[in-house]
Amino acid sequence: MTDPEFRSAFHGHKDVLYRFAYRMTGSEAAAEDVVQDCFLALWRNPAAYDPDRGTLRAFLLGVTRNLLLKRWRRERPHDALEDDASLCPPADLEGRERAGQVARAVQMLPPLQREAVILAEFEELPLEEIARATGADLAAVKSRLHRARRNLRRWLAPLLETKGTTYGT
Amino acid sequence: MEPDDDLQLHELLREWEAPNAPPSLEARVLGRRVAWWRFLLTGQIRVPVPVGLAAAAALIAMGVVVARDRGRGAVQPPPPETARAIFNLKDFQPVQNARVRVIRSGYANQ
Repeated sequence: MTDPEFRSAFHGHKDVLYRFAYRMTGSEAAAEDVVQDCFLALWRNPAAYDPDRGTLRAFLLGVTRNLLLKRWRRERPHDALEDDASLCPPADLEGRERAGQVARAVQMLPPLQREAVILAEFEELPLEEIARATGADLAAVKSRLHRARRNLRRWLAPLLETKGTTYGT
Repeated sequence: MEPDDDLQLHELLREWEAPNAPPSLEARVLGRRVAWWRFLLTGQIRVPVPVGLAAAAALIAMGVVVARDRGRGAVQPPPPETARAIFNLKDFQPVQNARVRVIRSGYANQ
């Protein structure tokens, strides 16, 4: 990979990677560290990216995602990545700013559901690209998205109700 | 699930805006791409304090061991003059009148 190619890749994908890492971690510093490590990994081993297997964006999202999960496992070695025990009553969100409530609800999701919902809802990636980035098959991505949306509807019910729809338990 | 539900959830989720990458990221990424040989000359690494202390202690211990071994293996200095005088043979003289006395074994038995 030449220097101009690397610069182009950096400028073309830094924001999507940073937003993804930021939404996954909730921390600007952590997001910056992870995205930096992702691009340095690309610089050191550009041959790891095979254009036949998907877009560069999906590849970089996959690298970022692996770094995030590694970080997650280091910080919380006993927490499951995909855990549906988080089906709890709606959080007490009263008195908080709406965007903050959404952020908090997304960050309460188990990591595999969270990455799926971030890439689908916020970055609006097609399901196939999400599957490539997360190393999962399409059915698994759909299942994670379904569970993530179900959890979010439950947790954010007070906010959704104000828009005219009531979500039961 | 109604499609409207998904749309409503989507709209609500989009209220949480994430910032774009800060300018400092560019300096961190584009500024840190150096060739390995240049990294060997100018690179820096962060070392955890316990590792740094352990490395320093190991270096000091190695220095002490090397210094002690050098002390043992060094060439001994020549003995001082007084010590050499004790073993000086310059006053040694052969016997002047040697009287040879032969003692036979039979005599010894008497």
